[in-house]
Amino acid sequence: MSEPAVVMEGITKRFPGVVANDAVDFRVERGTVHALLGENGAGKTTLMNVLYGLYDPDAGRILVDGEERSFDTPRDAIDAGVGMIHQHFMLVDPMTVAENVVLGNEPSKWFGLAVDRERATREVRELAEAYGFDVDPTATIEEESVGVQQRVEILKALYRGADVLILDEPTAVLTPQEVEDLFAVLEELTAEGKTVVFITHKLGEAMEAADDITVLRDGEAVGTVPAAETTREELAELMVGREVLLEVDSDPARPGDVALAAEGIRVEDHRGVDVVDGVDFSVREGEVFGIAGVDGNGQAELVEAITGMRVPDDGTVGFLGVDVTRASRRERIDAGMAYVPEDRQERGLVMDFDLVENGLLGSQHSPPFASGGVIDWDRSRDHAEAVIETFDVRPGDPDAEAESLSGGNQQKFVVGREFSRDPALIVASHPTRGVDIGSIEFIHRQLLEMRDDGRAVVLVSSKLDEVRQLSDRLAVMYEGEFVGTVDPDAVSEEELGLLMAGERPDGVEDLTVPVSPGPGDGEGDRAPEVTGPAGSDGPGPVGTTTNEDAVAAPGSDGSERLDEGEPSDGDAGESEDVGTPTPDEGSDAGATRRGDEE
Amino acid sequence: MSSATDVRRAVGDWADTKRRIAGLAVLAAVVLWALVGVVLPSSAVGGAFWWTLGLTADAVRIGTRESTIRAALRLSVPIGFAALGGIFAEKSGVINIGLEGLLIISAFTGVLVTDLLGPGTGWLLVPAIGPLPAIAMPSIWIGFLAAVLASTLLALLFAVVCIEFRADQIIAGLAVWLIALGLAPFASRVVYGTVNSDGVGTLGTWTVPGLSALPVVGPILFQAAPTVLMLLVAVPASWYLLNRTTFGRWVRASGENPKALDTAGVSVHRVRYAGVLLSGVLSGIGGAGLSLGHVGLFIGNGQTMVNGKGFIAITAYLFGNYNPFGAFGASVLFAGLDALQIRLQQLPAYDIPESLVQTIPFVTVIVALVLVGRTRLPAAAGEHYESGEE
Repeated sequence: MSEPAVVMEGITKRFPGVVANDAVDFRVERGTVHALLGENGAGKTTLMNVLYGLYDPDAGRILVDGEERSFDTPRDAIDAGVGMIHQHFMLVDPMTVAENVVLGNEPSKWFGLAVDRERATREVRELAEAYGFDVDPTATIEEESVGVQQRVEILKALYRGADVLILDEPTAVLTPQEVEDLFAVLEELTAEGKTVVFITHKLGEAMEAADDITVLRDGEAVGTVPAAETTREELAELMVGREVLLEVDSDPARPGDVALAAEGIRVEDHRGVDVVDGVDFSVREGEVFGIAGVDGNGQAELVEAITGMRVPDDGTVGFLGVDVTRASRRERIDAGMAYVPEDRQERGLVMDFDLVENGLLGSQHSPPFASGGVIDWDRSRDHAEAVIETFDVRPGDPDAEAESLSGGNQQKFVVGREFSRDPALIVASHPTRGVDIGSIEFIHRQLLEMRDDGRAVVLVSSKLDEVRQLSDRLAVMYEGEFVGTVDPDAVSEEELGLLMAGERPDGVEDLTVPVSPGPGDGEGDRAPEVTGPAGSDGPGPVGTTTNEDAVAAPGSDGSERLDEGEPSDGDAGESEDVGTPTPDEGSDAGATRRGDEE
Repeated sequence: MSSATDVRRAVGDWADTKRRIAGLAVLAAVVLWALVGVVLPSSAVGGAFWWTLGLTADAVRIGTRESTIRAALRLSVPIGFAALGGIFAEKSGVINIGLEGLLIISAFTGVLVTDLLGPGTGWLLVPAIGPLPAIAMPSIWIGFLAAVLASTLLALLFAVVCIEFRADQIIAGLAVWLIALGLAPFASRVVYGTVNSDGVGTLGTWTVPGLSALPVVGPILFQAAPTVLMLLVAVPASWYLLNRTTFGRWVRASGENPKALDTAGVSVHRVRYAGVLLSGVLSGIGGAGLSLGHVGLFIGNGQTMVNGKGFIAITAYLFGNYNPFGAFGASVLFAGLDALQIRLQQLPAYDIPESLVQTIPFVTVIVALVLVGRTRLPAAAGEHYESGEE
């Protein structure tokens, strides 16, 4: 075998209070795709930033093509043929693709008095064609989709003569279709003799796209394995350092009284289009009500209407028997409604506040944290410390700014703060988005514990396995409506995929009516239209019906819409943030549907 | 293409529609006003219409006079140069609201140095400095260079404070203004015993051979103060520098996404220093152009002779959407309104308070921003950047 493309030996990098990399050895063979796998905060990005010259290592040496190198700046790394594609693209939005690619290496004419724009455009076009990228050099970056922008980043590195390409979490921002395209690009690159290192915390991607996988844990390299000879379980264990339950076991729900009753919720967006179009549901204490669907089908707006981030244009929100449709956030919090928002950095935390202050958010006005407008900081600190302790937030320093925490730890802190309110209802929107495996498992357990404690939980997620595992009842949202509410254990992924595409498959039981302890429950009379005359069937412990009419109705006129919503359709998949876990499911769903039509 | 783009386009369309509606509403109001004027000429509203119509006619008549246009160009020198400087600083990511201070310091330094060297047209020998050979030059031009140097040094101080010591750009910019506003009249009082300096003469007039013979524009544009001619060169040169050279690319990238520039191996700090220093050089020419090119002395009363021109420069480049030509056009417009105002005051019918007229540039900017709405600040303007920080 030829000389390895990159060898890093004994790399140690310390930050104040943390050892991000501890004597890491890392070796990448030429012409391969190498995945650097690890949980958030395991030191993957730090290691690659060392290789790219953004950080100076405290110890260790780097060999590129067998030659020892030391990189003080990215420029040195670029000169040695190492290029990096960052998670957040380093692109200048108003400039064109070509301008971005040549930035810092502009070809000039007239003795440097002008940029040779024709040559830049031509060179970038040739480069794109050489690797089969579909990129227009004259388009501005802001016009292009995220997938194209990523290819521009790759072109930037190639233009600078990179032989080794480092990609930091390249799939985090892509739709499933774009991920497939990216993997094809990686193959193209290695076929041309380039070497690719990509950082990820997703097991499946590492196994699918990489030739070799190196796992980092707590700043140490715990092993390198060929992708073909490993299993998900082995990788998960390497990542977390113990056995991971990829499935969470849960006892059956013991639902109590209705905690949340939403009736006829309708929300218009700023254009006046209905994004939530008449949604009814109720959630009982002691059950997890899941809301699944491809992102952007109205889930976010529905959650906002429930939690008081906006007032719905129609409909009412009942909470513990009280109409809270127009109640403020503060009133809802005081009444016992906790909210884990979708975007922790935008809504969950104040990034430059420390954890004591962030732990106080939402409670800053009420006892025991405040009285007479004065905050009891000692008590707030105890509270933050308790949340940190219980939810294993790292680093466990209450004085740390939220910004300094990794995404997973930020999320754990938000979840911890919300759970500690002693809520009657928890609305959790994508509670594990961007969180590493260990933390996902932990957050899932906590959610189920809250449920078993007799609290109501609304769980919104675009991850199918997550909503299926945790929910007791699962509603699927499509174009602002609930297409169906089902028992997650009784439906297959394919059937769920169909529902997410807006169609009700045959033979799926409807659970719009909550599983109720007895008859005479008022909620049963108010079923959404799509389920047909469900109210007449009466609620019961099974409380459900297979309604042939309802099954047929959307299918007969729904095929047109279906094409739009189907994730495997290249067009739709390119720009929309399609939340189905893998594109395979989308095509399965599509295949089933086509079969039905014939 | 993609649905996200469609939504953005739809939102953009709606914003355009709103703007169109606003434009139509203004038009409808004017038409209604005119109707009232025709139907009820003696009513207060109707009378105001005819008064405004008369004012407009007089404004057009006076505004097209050669002397008014020459005055407008002269007045646009400090505004235009400061605006060009502001473009470079802000495009690189440093909002320089201290332009006013740079104008004040250079206006004063130019006069002071000229006076110390002995005003008049005598030539002085400048000794060799480093690689520069000794040359002879009139004292007033040495004063001019000193003005540019003073402004650049103050801009350097601002740059060090903002870039190296991470000070808030707005506060540091205000400090630059306040320092100059206090320092220049104080120094004048020390040297001259009063806030106003002695007269030192002006740079005179340059005539461009050939071009000045052109009909109409020739005598206006090409037989003018040297600083007016410099501005006419500086505007296209700035545009070229910003849009066609490598340096200009880096300046724009530094203000939009400094990290992109940094990871491409270009030092963001250096580019930003260059942008701010360039704003110092250009503002220095503008300040010296005001005192040495036009008035011939430094006036330190109140807000000094600069009197808000640095701030108008900021509105001028915003109005021109960071395009040097646009900024120049806005500068001439604002300066022209000023020149017009002075002349209209002399007609007995229009006793308009000067302070009211001086609000015109700012009102214009707000109206224009609402109706046109295309000014787009560089994405990273005002933000500090440090290499290697996440």
